[in-house]
Order: sequence, then structure tokens, then C-alpha cells
Amino acid sequence: MSQMISSGKRNAGLLSNENRRRITWVLFLLPALMIYLTFMAAPLFDSLRLSLYTGEGYNPTKFVGFQNYIDLFTNPLWREKFFGAVLHTSIFFAIHMVVQNSLGLLFANLLASEFKGRDLYRTIIFAPATLSVLVTGFLWTLILNPQWGAVNKILVAMDLKQWALPWLGRENLALPIISLVSSWQWVGMPTVLFLAGLMGISEELLEAARIDGASEWAIFWKIKFPLLKPIIGIVAILTFVDNFNAFDVIYAMAGAKGEPSYSTDLLATLFYRTGIAGEHPVGIPNMGMGAAIATITFLILMTGVLFWLYMSRRNSEEA
Amino acid sequence: MQKKLFGLLSVLILVSMMLTACGAPATEAPVVEVPAATEAPAEPVATEAPAAEEITLTLGSWRVDDVAAWEVITAAFHEEYPNITVKFDPTNPPDYNATLRTQLETGTGPDLYFVRSFATGRELFDAGYVASLKDLPGISDTFTEASRSPWATEAGEPYAVPIIAVSHGVYYNKDIFAANGIEVPTTWEELMAASQTLLDAGVTPFANGTKDAWDINEVVMMQFIPSNIGGYEGRLAYLNGERCFNSEEMVASFQQIDDMQPFLPTGFEATSYYDSAQLFSQGLAAMMLDGSWSIGGFEKDATDFEWGVFYPPALDGKDQYVTFHIDAAIGANAGSPNLEAAMTFLEFLESSAFAELLGNNLPGFFPLTKDVPILSDPIAADFMAFNSAAKGVDIRFVWEKLLAAPSGSVDAYTSLNNNVIAVLKDEKTPQEAADAFNADLAAWYEPAAACK
Repeated sequence: MSQMISSGKRNAGLLSNENRRRITWVLFLLPALMIYLTFMAAPLFDSLRLSLYTGEGYNPTKFVGFQNYIDLFTNPLWREKFFGAVLHTSIFFAIHMVVQNSLGLLFANLLASEFKGRDLYRTIIFAPATLSVLVTGFLWTLILNPQWGAVNKILVAMDLKQWALPWLGRENLALPIISLVSSWQWVGMPTVLFLAGLMGISEELLEAARIDGASEWAIFWKIKFPLLKPIIGIVAILTFVDNFNAFDVIYAMAGAKGEPSYSTDLLATLFYRTGIAGEHPVGIPNMGMGAAIATITFLILMTGVLFWLYMSRRNSEEA
Repeated sequence: MQKKLFGLLSVLILVSMMLTACGAPATEAPVVEVPAATEAPAEPVATEAPAAEEITLTLGSWRVDDVAAWEVITAAFHEEYPNITVKFDPTNPPDYNATLRTQLETGTGPDLYFVRSFATGRELFDAGYVASLKDLPGISDTFTEASRSPWATEAGEPYAVPIIAVSHGVYYNKDIFAANGIEVPTTWEELMAASQTLLDAGVTPFANGTKDAWDINEVVMMQFIPSNIGGYEGRLAYLNGERCFNSEEMVASFQQIDDMQPFLPTGFEATSYYDSAQLFSQGLAAMMLDGSWSIGGFEKDATDFEWGVFYPPALDGKDQYVTFHIDAAIGANAGSPNLEAAMTFLEFLESSAFAELLGNNLPGFFPLTKDVPILSDPIAADFMAFNSAAKGVDIRFVWEKLLAAPSGSVDAYTSLNNNVIAVLKDEKTPQEAADAFNADLAAWYEPAAACK
């Protein structure tokens, strides 16, 4: 600091101006930084601290070091629940990547061309994303209900009674079904992002390719797809972050216990039951263990994001 | 490059938002609760000097559905003690235990509150949050020891006044029974035969499902257990390690669940408690095993046909026992500035006036005073009649001692629930389910590990 001031004194003029500008820049950042530190960084670190404590209620006071983590990985019950949740979350994420994002890319390509009713289709595709997850989750639970749901009524009417299953009541069906419902709801997000990317591709490139006699298929894979890569990366990382934090759709369709028999239990529902709500009928949370689960979720997310950063930097260096 | 930086930043912000969102509710909760709870103690201070002291007490509860009935009860109390007003202030049931604990820890708890039975309530007493009632006049004369014991220490020191018990039974559609020539079954075989007759006639015999899990456990399995094991004495044998949790009586209970399976609705795996109630109310299923707390709901919804209740008959050679679950008691906050007024209210809870108000305003919730008032609701009266017809009554099987599993082990409630559902889904035989139940308990409950 003193060096800066003294150097400013020596060359009074251009340099001091630049220094001043630099300080102003920092000043503009300060309010946002304060908000970030108070409402995001501080609770995050407090949550990390909490994971080293144990006790009942909302003020765990007994310091236990890494015991919560040791229990989480060595106690058979915790381990089973935790790795179950990791597996289910990964499946949930994989289905979104395959279904939601592929469909998003397809829809974006269709919407990028001129045709009648394009705006209407764009609205239809995006509309579910504007609704509350609790609302759509509840509606889908009704649609899939084995007693009065539309799906099974239609199947029975079509004489396909053996196909009219209790969709949300089977361990092997519930998670894929809920993932598909969630993909349906959020497909508008990647669509819009991909559409923006496609709009940004210069028409001249496409025209040149067409003159050279490239098929639409070749244009997609040779021109559009490579140019969309950065956006695909962003969509992938957004999906990753959203899905590893997903809670509401499971809560709405399968309950906080991840019914049936914990088969839809995600990291966030496990965290909620452990750290916040407790389990029926006792309902006393174990906040220390909850914080440990949250911390591990954080580490998983951080690894994913760092990997993405590394990949995108390498890509941009190559390009 | 700029675009990329923007994308990167937004992702980073998103990540941190998600993470803090995980941490937020915990720190928020106490802040949200403070204003409502602090209101009460503040008021009397303001009006301290003039005339008779005006006191407002808050009454915490998990019974969100019963606000209207409690307003009638507290109004009656206010009439008797004009200087004390009691405000019923319930919390959403799944959040009740955690919210109450937060309030008590931060000194903002209600003056009076519903106390859960056994371990959950005992913890609050041991932590000094619930006032001792050893000096409350009349408590030992008004209630039997069985009613008091879920809220008393081993030495018999009470800390809450028991107010509510719930019963269980089979609701049945009289019209459907008559149309198929079925009488109310008096043996388990008759019940199963009746179910078969109904199924053959294209009627769903039972409305129960397993999507919400708790109902199949609490209102089905725990209705069967007491008759099989021989009520309270039988339950003690398990708690003392004289019987193993995979004894033949327990296997028989799981077998009853297995017997019922063909008679549950199509897609019972995804049928929720709410769906079940609707199936019965709309006359789409002939019977539903449910708790007495549903009387009000069915009286409102099931209006198109005649219905009644019977108790699920015991297996051949077994005596009939009824699950009459002592569910709630009210205790006083030891830290309340109005402890004396709170004690006055607790004393009121021992009166026959209160028992009558409760029994008649909340049909299906039964007062626990020794002198049972005449209940005006016919179905509620039928439930009470089960008790006198049975050899004995007992609380739900797992509540005493078996819920307090240490972290990382399975409590009896969860284990029983998982195994009942496994039997219904044909993943386990009744014997395997009972063995798994025993193994879960043996892992932490010493008498189960040492059982004969």
C-alpha cells in the first residue's frame, strides 16, 4: 500500500489515476462481497463446523471431531443410506442428462427453423418450467395414481390392464418415473439455452455448408454441434448442480422418506430427514450428521464444478 | 471470453446458493418462531398493576386440525377463570418435536404444551423443560397408573397430564356387507372368507395401501399385535427379553398381514392414506382399517351409505385385546413466568367438565379420566365399547422403550414398518420378516439380544 502511494507521489499523473481506478473497482465490489460473505460464505463455513459436533436439537454442542464422517462411512446403516442416496442421485442426474438435455437439443434445433406455430411450441415447451415443482409433482402423482389416475384409466380402457402398474409404488419404477417428470418440467431450460446458442451461429457458415452440398445431418454434427460445445458444458454443469441438490420433486411425489422403501431417497432428502425434520414418529433431528451429509454433497458438487472448469479451460486453450 | 466468465460466475453463485439453501432452514427456524411465542409472556407485564392480573397462556400442540374444538375448551376454561386466557397455538405435526425443542432451547417455548409419550417427552423432562407435577392435586386419583406412566419417571413422578387416547378398528360399509350377504365377522377366518366373497363379487375388500407407509404400520399391524401377544403383559415379556421379537406370536401377526394382501386394492403400493380414505368414503372399498381420529372425516365424506366399525377379530384360540393408544398429555413449561396459572389449567384438565368437552367436541379422541363420560357420537361410543368387550387394552407395540434407537441403528417403528411392507410386496415371508425385525432390535436393545 505504502509502495503504491509513494510510487503515485513520484509519478503524479497517469499512474495514480490508474491506481485510483483500481481502488474504485474494489469499492464497487464491496457491498456484494459483504452480502456474499454474510449470507453465503459464513453459513457455509458454519455448516462445515457443525459437521464436527453432535447433540440433539438445533444447538449440537458436543465436539466429536470427524466421528460423524466415520459413522457415515463405517456404520452399515448410515453407509447403506448414504451410498443409496448417492446412487439414486446419480441415476436421477443421468436420466436428466440423457432425456432432458437431448430433448432440449432436439427441440432447440426444431425451433431454430422457421415454421408455422413456432412461438406456440416454444411456449408449450417452456411453460412447465414456470410452474411450482410442488404443483406439478402433485398433479403427476394424481395422474399416475393407481385408483383414479388418467394413465392407468387409459391403459385399462385400451385393454392393457397388465400395464396399469402402481407407478410410484414400485422400487424399480418410482425413481425413473420421477426423473422423467422432472425432465418434462425442466426441458424448457436447456431448450432456451441451446436455442440462444443456435441463433448465435452465423448464417453465412450454414449457407456456405449448404452450397458445398452438406446434408442437414452433416451440418448439425460438423458445424452446429462443435459451436454449441461451450453451451453444452454450461447446460451439463447446471443440470449437475440442480440434480445433486434436487429435493422438491421427490418431496412432492414420494415424500421426505424417499418412498417406496427409500428407493427414491436423494442426497437432499436424506439430508433433510437427518438434519432438519427427523423421522416419524420421534422426529428429533441429528444436525451434526445432517451437516456432514451436506458437506459431502458440497464436496461432490465442488469436484464436479472444478472438473468442468478444467475441461472448459483446456477446450478454450485448444481452440 | 467474457461470456464464459459470466457463465462461470453464474454457476459459482448458483452452487453457493444451493449450498447455503441447505444450511438456511436450520438457522431460520428459531427466528421465525420467536415473535408468536414471545407475545404471551410480554402481555401480563404490561397490564401488571391494575385490578386482577390478566394472564394469557399459550398452548403448543401438534393437532392443527382441532383448533375449533380447542377454542371451545379454552373458552370454557376462561369462563371459570376469567383472568386467564389460553391461546391454542398448534404446529404442523411433522415439525412439532423439532420446533418445540428449538423454542424451549431459545427460551421462547409456549407456557403449556402437548408432550409426546415415553422417550420423546422424557427427554424434555430430563433436560428440565417440563415442570414436575408431583404436587399437582388429584393427578393420581383422576388417572390410572397405566395412563400416567407414559409421562412419569420410574419412581412415579408425573410431568404431564394425560388427556387423549385414540383407538383403532375396521370401518365397514354396511350397504356393501348387506348386498353381499355378509355379517360382521367374529373370527379371523370369517373376516378372510368375507373378504374372498367380496373380491369374487368384484368389490375391493380393504381400502388400505402402503404409499404413506405409516398407516399400514400403525393402524393395521399394531392392531393385530396385542391380541396375538396377549396385551400389556405379553408386551412386557418382549421388553424384558422373556420373548424374542421373532416369536411365533410375531410371525402370526406378519402372517395376518400376508393374509390380507390379496384383498388390498389394485396398486396398493402406490395408494396413499388419503386415497384409502377416499376409496372407502366413495363406497369403492368395503372396509378400511383406520384410527378413531377418522370418525369426523368419514361423517363428513361418507354420506351416501350406512357404515359402522368393528374390531379385527383375534386368531383362533387367542383372546381379544384392543389397541387403545394413549397419545397425548399436556405439560407446563418449567421456564414459564406464568407457571402458577399454567398449573391451574392442568388442574382443569382433570375435571369431568373437560373430559366431556373433549370427548364430545373431538369424536374419536377419548379422554383418559377414570370416569368416562357418556359420548354423544355413536361411532365414538362403539369404539369405547370395544374396550369393555375386550380382555384388555394396550398402547401400540413399539412406543415404550423401542423408539429410542441410538444413531446408526434402526428403531422398532421403522423396522416393523419396513418388514410389514416387505411382506406385502412378497419380498419376505412372515418368518423372514419377523427374523429381520428381531435382528434390527437385537443390534441395540439389550433384552432383544439376550432373549430366550
